[in-house]
Amino acid sequence: MSASQSAVRSRAEAVKVSRTFDWLILFTLFFVVLGGYHIHYMLTGGDWDFWTDWKDRRLWVTVAPIVSITFPAAVQACLWWRYRLPFGAVVCILGLLLGEWINRYLNFWGWTYFPVNFCFPSNLMPGAIVLDAVLLLTGSMTVTAVIGGMAWGLLFYPGNWPIIAPLHVPVEYNGMMMTLADLQGYHYVRTGTPEYIRMVEKGTLRTFGKDVAPVSAFFSAFVSILIYFLWHFFGQWFASTKFVEAA
Amino acid sequence: MKILKDKVAKLSFVALLITMTAAMFYTPTASAHGEKSQAAFMRMRTIHWFDLNWSKEEVPVNDTMTISGKFFVFSGWPETVDKPEISFLNIGIPGPVFIRAGSWIGGQLVPRSVSLELGETYEFKVLLKARRPGDWHVHTMLNVKGGGPIIGPGKWVTVTGSMGSFVNPVTTLTGETIDLETYNLSNTYFWHAAWYAVGLLWIAYWARKPLFIPRSIAVEAGKADTLITPADRKVTLAFAVGTIAIIAVSMASTNEKFPITTPLQAGLLRGIKSIQLPVPTVAVKVEDATYRVPGRAMQMTLTITNNGDSPVRLGEFNTAGVRFLDPAVAQDETGYPDDLLAEEGLTVSDNSAIAPGQSRTVQVTASDAAWEVYRLADLIYDPDSRFAGLLFFYDAAGNRQLVTIDAPLIPTFI
Repeated sequence: MSASQSAVRSRAEAVKVSRTFDWLILFTLFFVVLGGYHIHYMLTGGDWDFWTDWKDRRLWVTVAPIVSITFPAAVQACLWWRYRLPFGAVVCILGLLLGEWINRYLNFWGWTYFPVNFCFPSNLMPGAIVLDAVLLLTGSMTVTAVIGGMAWGLLFYPGNWPIIAPLHVPVEYNGMMMTLADLQGYHYVRTGTPEYIRMVEKGTLRTFGKDVAPVSAFFSAFVSILIYFLWHFFGQWFASTKFVEAA
Repeated sequence: MKILKDKVAKLSFVALLITMTAAMFYTPTASAHGEKSQAAFMRMRTIHWFDLNWSKEEVPVNDTMTISGKFFVFSGWPETVDKPEISFLNIGIPGPVFIRAGSWIGGQLVPRSVSLELGETYEFKVLLKARRPGDWHVHTMLNVKGGGPIIGPGKWVTVTGSMGSFVNPVTTLTGETIDLETYNLSNTYFWHAAWYAVGLLWIAYWARKPLFIPRSIAVEAGKADTLITPADRKVTLAFAVGTIAIIAVSMASTNEKFPITTPLQAGLLRGIKSIQLPVPTVAVKVEDATYRVPGRAMQMTLTITNNGDSPVRLGEFNTAGVRFLDPAVAQDETGYPDDLLAEEGLTVSDNSAIAPGQSRTVQVTASDAAWEVYRLADLIYDPDSRFAGLLFFYDAAGNRQLVTIDAPLIPTFI
């Protein structure tokens, strides 16, 4: 067989090779994203995602969506503009959550015995589905950034509320009122994360009374829009083939 | 010759692989908390722990023990560490092998951060409930905002039994009694699994069709729009609407199930009650202090003046949790950790009783391997080479008084 001849001899063979290639790429993409995104999220979200007593109504709501919209935006840029595939955000979150669950179960629970109900990851899937859906339905990066990015920030807290609400039930403990999540943080000793790091409710947001979470979510949504633009361009640049094209 | 060389190279490579694999399987237990690598001045000039008591040395799972004692917030707090205006009474253990069932300073529960005053002495107690079997080094610890964790003395405690039997029952203000060890776990698993399944469905919808090569060819041929069908749009719309609907319904049902929830609690407790120790009637002036590196000994020249009405003798020098005792004056009866106790580590040139009104200059030597083992000798490399500690004087009736010292330290190398 010369170099100019095809490696496949029939359409059926071509389809088979193409599908094999699909699964290879998807498998590789999944684990590369899992590794890179996981490290990124642990470094930037870190404790806000690790512990239930850090999943507060103000900073967690703000920080987690902003630092997590990065990879979904970049992978969307690559998969959409080069393949018209609208699952960039979801594949990222599937990878991230799998990595996080492995980490929380094997490391946090298996090595250091923190109960899983204290150190489970945040749920980012609802925002990812909507982000992908907006991209497909509009085909526009700008609209996806504005509508999808907004949804990413706004859906985060309600998407997690069914999981964390039971831990916000109050308890009286030795004469003080706290939530069950606070009590978890107090009971399950961490030497490096003292209580004072959690004192985040400062500033003028208190003028909104108890409705702090929606305000934080809106702020987070606005910043997520900006971060989406930035990382979308990173993705486009990263997915360019001009670096490997022949002169 | 070449074959021989190749064989040697191959065997060397195999040996290297075996060594690396064996190294990966060698995983000794890490049981220390880095207490020895914390800068010496941090341990000598910040928090002085004393009168410590670990109530038990062996505890079954679900049983409790306490660590109690006092700590003095040193007046000569170093400039390089933020003052303990926002601090948290912690406990140094390797993960939650115990749970912290309670902690008190001055009789007040302190699940929150506290504001401490320099020069004050506080009484504390930490109640621990055993959770995981093993031998654990249990330290006192204070986290200081801007200063980090300041670790105190540690003692080995054995937890017996099985972790499987550990329970952590809590009754909420809504009247429900739950086991905090497993509470909400199935709910967490359910929601994560459910959303993960939705994500997988979304990928599966697209992965059933050709993905990369044909689509790339189509996009490059300018036929990208043909890749998205009306059916794709309908399915996508269904996913988007379904997602929002699930969120709305689950929010509503959650709020119905848990109508009473409160925000996370955090805050600063001020006005923590300190204990008033009797004003010392002994005055101590440090004339000079040297650390003799080869001898692992610190020598001080002290001028001691007894302004009280009974004769006193120097019995103990305590710094960074290491206790140097003169056995003729003071013995430990509390079961203090051996590695932190130099029972005969304190020598005084003339330790006869100092009579009321008398002033005497003496040579005091605190020597023990603990200087090296606990890396306190490293304070000669600190940016502010000063030492500090507590001196305990005793009268004939056994009454004790505490005097703090804080002075420059000169190392000698010969």
